[in-house]
Amino acid sequence: MIAYIIRRLLATIPVMLLVAVIVFLLVHLAPGDPASVIAGDNATSDQIAAIRATLGLDRPLWEQFAIWIWRVLQGDLGQSLFWNRGVAELILQRAEPTVSLAITTLIFAVSIAIGLGVLAAWKAGSGIDRSVMGLAVAGFSVPVFVVGYLLVYLFAIELRWLPVQGYRPIAQGFWPWLERLILPSVALGLAYLALIARITRTTMLEILSEDYIRTAQAKGVATRPMLFRHALKNAAVPIVTVVGIGVALLISGVVITETVFNIPGIGRLVVDAITRRDYPIIQGVMLVFSAIYVLVNLAVDLSYTLFDPRVRY
Amino acid sequence: MRTTRRSVLGAGVAGTAILAAPAVWPARAQPSAKGTVRAVMHGDVPTFDPIWTTANMAAYHGNMVYDTLFGIDDQVRPQPQMVGRHGLSDDQLTFTMELRDGLKWSDGTDVTARDCVASLRRWAARDGAGQHMMERVADISARDARTIVIKLKEPYGLITDAMAKTSTPICFMMREKEAMTDPMQKIETIVGSGPFLFNERETRPGSQYVYDRNPNYRPRSEPPSWIAGGKVVHVERVIFQNMPDVQTAIAALQAGEVDYVEQPPIDTVPALEADPDIALQDRNPLGNVGWIRLNFLHPPFNNVKARQAVLWAVDQEAHLKATFVDRRFYQPCGSFLTCGTPYESDANTEWFKRGPDRAKARQLLQESGYKGEPVTLLQATNILYMTNAAQILAQELRAIGMNIQMVPMDWSGVVQRRAVKAPPDQGGWNIFITSADGLSSSNPIWAAAHAATGERGWFGWPSDELHERLRDEWVKAPDLETRQKVTHRLQENAWNFVPHVYYGQWRTPVAHRKNVTGWINSPGVVPFWNVKKA
Repeated sequence: MIAYIIRRLLATIPVMLLVAVIVFLLVHLAPGDPASVIAGDNATSDQIAAIRATLGLDRPLWEQFAIWIWRVLQGDLGQSLFWNRGVAELILQRAEPTVSLAITTLIFAVSIAIGLGVLAAWKAGSGIDRSVMGLAVAGFSVPVFVVGYLLVYLFAIELRWLPVQGYRPIAQGFWPWLERLILPSVALGLAYLALIARITRTTMLEILSEDYIRTAQAKGVATRPMLFRHALKNAAVPIVTVVGIGVALLISGVVITETVFNIPGIGRLVVDAITRRDYPIIQGVMLVFSAIYVLVNLAVDLSYTLFDPRVRY
Repeated sequence: MRTTRRSVLGAGVAGTAILAAPAVWPARAQPSAKGTVRAVMHGDVPTFDPIWTTANMAAYHGNMVYDTLFGIDDQVRPQPQMVGRHGLSDDQLTFTMELRDGLKWSDGTDVTARDCVASLRRWAARDGAGQHMMERVADISARDARTIVIKLKEPYGLITDAMAKTSTPICFMMREKEAMTDPMQKIETIVGSGPFLFNERETRPGSQYVYDRNPNYRPRSEPPSWIAGGKVVHVERVIFQNMPDVQTAIAALQAGEVDYVEQPPIDTVPALEADPDIALQDRNPLGNVGWIRLNFLHPPFNNVKARQAVLWAVDQEAHLKATFVDRRFYQPCGSFLTCGTPYESDANTEWFKRGPDRAKARQLLQESGYKGEPVTLLQATNILYMTNAAQILAQELRAIGMNIQMVPMDWSGVVQRRAVKAPPDQGGWNIFITSADGLSSSNPIWAAAHAATGERGWFGWPSDELHERLRDEWVKAPDLETRQKVTHRLQENAWNFVPHVYYGQWRTPVAHRKNVTGWINSPGVVPFWNVKKA
């Protein structure tokens, strides 16, 4: 197992290098110039050129890439072009809101989705099944920002139950932290919930038609243990796989959700950086997100051993 | 599915719970803390050095923590701010300023004339008006700890105007230590002598910027007027909250989570007007002016007839109505320098009074020798008024026979491409849309885009010797009346050679909670002194 983990971790190095090259090229080849943004609207061409030289943006692209990748290999993600602060420092500063949002969204989506998926499979063909699947289709189809605005209008402006926007660190109290995460988590989690509910239902339908389930029923095993102990555990591998794949969905959703709900997380950091072409931040965040995605998939692969004793690494 | 008594009862209980929930979970009110004003400005602070950049948000930051030697008042007149006694020598070649009592930096040290000399030099290196002034300055020096002396090569009527203006970069005073920094490098340390102190510990770049009342600031005794007069701070803290989504900002304002939204979209105005807790206020009396920049370096706009064709084709009313909807918020304006200022003029504005006239525009275009070559129009798609203006302009110019090719991109892409002097088919451009604040547009020196110095000038690179002579004459004019006469001639010439075209002037109201009062109007920046929160 340890050898497998080491092999997988080593395999991430070429992946991360490839990501680094692609991100760097995409960012630098896209139109836009941070020096022009920094200089402002009244600046002349000479002033912009001077700022570009100060930032090192007048150097050949390969040279800029070499400098950046050399620093990255030393663990330095570089400096923001605008704030003269380290990219790693800025990412760390923004990590708590994003991690909080991801955790609450995961808890919301996974806990509800698995229950709904199991229920839909157990009541296959019934009104409950159709309702759950209808909800799943809606959850998957409606964009995050539409759900977000509707939730804000209803629960924050009309009912005034929850705040419109913002984030409070958990150190300032559990409820102030949680109340600002409820609406974003629901908005972000609906698509995720839909995805997991559908895969849970499909996998459970397959499992529930297996002979051993029929045998368990014939032996008089109660419904709940039969569903959750016998069937769900055997359906877990594809569900956990989808949960892992869904992290990509979560990452892209975080970017929009943090903007709609004004959460000062990593998603907002990268959106702002893209708007003003703060290259080191864009590159740094993309690398971090890629690393997270690779590690989550590794964790998913490793988790298979928990659900299926036949899986060995 | 069977309907049973149990399922009906269950549904009833669930329905009752949902309906009763508002009573069980009472509505929350979330006013931001008393003494703290939370403001959503139009953008993010891109850097903390307001001299290094002309970005407005950097000036907003500077306006909180730094002070100026002079400040402009609501009559567009420069008034002393950090300065006490001041005056020009009889030969008009020596301008002397004495700092007023009690000026201190936030680190507790005294503000000295040496600090101000270094600040003036650094600002002048980056600012168009400052550069214009420095060409006529022989020396700036500190006579003693509190006296600054500017020696001129020739009489120059805009010294105090330049130091007082609110168009960026504003002439903020910094400690000598920071002001000695290369003007092309950013300063790292924020030590000001303004009415607020920058709270770096609680600031989160990109998210929130925190400013605390400066207890050691000594305001002037005069009443506040634009950025002149007494800067008396009544609140303990001001927080600029960066909210890229303006709909969220509006919702936060309605819910009382923020106190001020600088640029609510015009389509939200009816809803905001209907809200009993929110007031709308026109805080920028001169508003903004929409500019259509034409590239003088390449056909067709290297020909004056083609530029005149655009002048006659543009319907300002159509442009303004598309974005600003309500006549309360916009006005077509034919004046070369901003309408509503002492320099508003109707000289040579037949194109405005009679226009738009497509037949005439088409005729002028034909006379220019235009043969249907593609005309590249840069469209900033992420800024509503710019993207609308580009769409309408494209239609107007197609209607007179121009082969418009729109190039959509975000604003960052536009600011990069507009600097390219190559022909449009090699990465250059023919037209882009922008805007400038009404105050800087009202002064032929302050707005870099008013220069017609060819390739040394601003994007579009217009060139006209007479225009430059008249700008120089405007500066030397000894009084307002003379300057107005020069303005008249400047405008007559401008609308002949057409350095650019305007698509109108607008003012967007700000929205604030009604319990926050005392807002001071000002173009260019947003003063937070005099503001009170009940």
